[in-house]
Amino acid sequence: MADSAYTDAVPLLPQSALVLRQGRTWLLLLLLAVLLGLLLRSGILQLPLLKDLLTWSPALLLGMLANIQISVLAIAIGTLAGLFIGVLQLSSVRLVRLAARGYVQLFRNAPMLILIYFSTYVFPFELHISSHYVSFPDWIKVTLGLALPASANVAEIFRGAMLSIPAPQWEAASSLAFRRTQLLRWIILPQCLRRMLPSWMNLYSTITMGTALASLVGVHDLLDTAQIASTTVNRVDFTVAIYFTTLLLFFIYCYPISRFTHYLERKYAFI
Amino acid sequence: MMDAWLSKIVAACKGIGLNYDFLLAADERAAFLHGLLVTLQLSLACIVLSLLAGFLLATLLVSQRRWLAFGARVFVELTRNTPTLVQLYCAFLVLNMLITQALSSSVGNPLTPFIWVVLVISLHKGAFHAESLRAGIEAVPAVTLEAAASLGFSRRRQLWLVQLPLALRFALPSLINNLVDLVKMTSVASAIAVGDVTYQSIMIWTQRDNVLELMLLMLFFFGVLTYAVNLAGRWLEQNLRMPGYGR
Amino acid sequence: MPLSEVRPDAGNVLVELRDVHLAFGRTAVLKGINLQVRRGQAVSIIGPSGSGKSTILRCITGLLKPQSGDIFLDGTDVRALKSEAELIGLRKRVGFVFQQYNLFPHLTVLENLVIAPTRILGQDLASARSNAHALLERVKLGGKAHAYPGQLSGGQQQRVAIARALAMQPELILFDEVTSALDPETVGEVLTVIGELVQDGMTCVLVTHEMRFAEEVSDEVYFTEAGLIVEHGPAHKIFSHPDSERTRTFLTRALRGEEQGRRQTNSFSPISFDRLKFSV
Repeated sequence: MADSAYTDAVPLLPQSALVLRQGRTWLLLLLLAVLLGLLLRSGILQLPLLKDLLTWSPALLLGMLANIQISVLAIAIGTLAGLFIGVLQLSSVRLVRLAARGYVQLFRNAPMLILIYFSTYVFPFELHISSHYVSFPDWIKVTLGLALPASANVAEIFRGAMLSIPAPQWEAASSLAFRRTQLLRWIILPQCLRRMLPSWMNLYSTITMGTALASLVGVHDLLDTAQIASTTVNRVDFTVAIYFTTLLLFFIYCYPISRFTHYLERKYAFI
Repeated sequence: MMDAWLSKIVAACKGIGLNYDFLLAADERAAFLHGLLVTLQLSLACIVLSLLAGFLLATLLVSQRRWLAFGARVFVELTRNTPTLVQLYCAFLVLNMLITQALSSSVGNPLTPFIWVVLVISLHKGAFHAESLRAGIEAVPAVTLEAAASLGFSRRRQLWLVQLPLALRFALPSLINNLVDLVKMTSVASAIAVGDVTYQSIMIWTQRDNVLELMLLMLFFFGVLTYAVNLAGRWLEQNLRMPGYGR
Repeated sequence: MPLSEVRPDAGNVLVELRDVHLAFGRTAVLKGINLQVRRGQAVSIIGPSGSGKSTILRCITGLLKPQSGDIFLDGTDVRALKSEAELIGLRKRVGFVFQQYNLFPHLTVLENLVIAPTRILGQDLASARSNAHALLERVKLGGKAHAYPGQLSGGQQQRVAIARALAMQPELILFDEVTSALDPETVGEVLTVIGELVQDGMTCVLVTHEMRFAEEVSDEVYFTEAGLIVEHGPAHKIFSHPDSERTRTFLTRALRGEEQGRRQTNSFSPISFDRLKFSV
């Protein structure tokens, strides 16, 4: 990494610009707001466009809520399943280990879209529980479809975190007469979980962006709402605005997660 | 002769409950194979272009000109934190429409959906590559760069002759990961009706209702593709090895 | 044979620093440095860690820019050089050998030696290669031309680094604690090479913790502490009967081996690119 003592005098080494920390970002946003105001006043930017956007914004936010709901549930299920599979990979029974590896390989190499289609078609339209018909809504199917790659990736992150724990830790704990399960529970797992955190947050970001695919199977998420809005209003400028608004909404949700992940990475860099 | 062989396989699969009849219909089989080809083309085009974009963006990210670095960073953060599908729609449904409107009716819009998919995915993955390369560039020891400077290397030479070669080696595992993701990402092409394997499969299973069978085929195909990318990655790692490094 | 007497063929002033002040942010590192190096001389800069010795070297070659003061290289005002091209012109005349991570790890030893003469000086590849082989013989590493830096020991790497600096045919070579990071066994082989260089008449400025070597090889010695030159003079005087009390204290401790010199650990570690492996 750059030795900070030298960059003060003559900047010899590369710098990476941190966006929101710099004052100029806020200046840019302020300029943008002023520009928007000027455009509104001059009549170039038609008010109906903003009126329409505002009319549709509750629907958009509801759609966004659907995406968030799916992503949170998918990562929750995926993490639990993934940790379970991760532990299975450490099993002393060879067959179990192989099966776990196979699961991980399968669902890591499969495109998310295909898994979503799969879960949508494979699961029935409704469930028959005793004499009741419980509808199996589309969004739950998508959630399960996303939980599959989530679990496989969590298992992989877990494996990576395990491998990064130095061998002396295992030896030291064994020499203190810990049994294998105790060793795992008290020494290894806590350290593992800390190391897994940045990658896990990365995974959550990926899953959240994957929820946009739900629109292709008929779930009324943000993207689907945007498409409906676009065809309803049926105006070119509105179409442009609504799609870029969708982009912005996803960005507003995912960017803070990304920054937090960076913060975590730096914090836990040398554990 | 090929058909007889194929019939035997299809029959065998039927024995275990899998319906692969579509393979016996010449048109559907051809469509599926074409889909495989399109996916391959998409993957190759995107791999090449995304790596180029990644390198370019990485040099912009570490540029000494603040405005270039800032602009590159804004672009990278925007593309990394928004879904590919949304970017694809913005590009295809919005930009493409605007371009078609702007061009006169005699000059048609030369940009096909295929091209849009390649552009969007390459830029999207290029941003990820750029991040990996940037981390690699910054991992080059400061002293090695000072040594280059003291030999008379200009900053540009330091970047191209020292930082980038080393960054490439450091970032290689990450880049290969990104490329595997890229191959999987090509399936979103089906959303704008580019005839890749996903799209063709959807067409077939809406007729024949054999989702599971097609799923297995696609999973197998993508498994082979990603394996090939990983293999290429490992070969590169071997060839770019710096003997004795990291002792 | 000690070289500590001032050599009669020591020529005009090659490097001159006048009242140089340098601060990193709010920390003052150099607080008024006056230094002179004549052509053909070997000058050592000694002192405790953090006294600004390495900073002085970096100022001479324009890697760092002081806030005030003058730096002249053979009459050229270093501080007046603005463009990168001018700085490069300066750096072609000054060789620099660092403490660690000198060499380019992705190139072989031969490629390391040849890259700068061909790209910067515009030499043709064949003559650059033959020069490189000659230099490798000179530092006694003739057989290692096709090895990678990672396959060499620290001492061998430093000798290659010296050869690489020599390949640019500089007028002056700066050595920045080049043996501080080495195992004691390999220190000797590097010092031998430096000693031979000095004997051949190369102008050298050494920042070093090897006191006995400095005494043996230098013409002039500067003792720095906390950013100031406490004392300077001919080597035989400084090492045997220095004027200043602080110099005496430092030398006693150093020669007793207590002041080993901190081993600088560069912040690069293999962990940084291992972590890149799971970017899910």
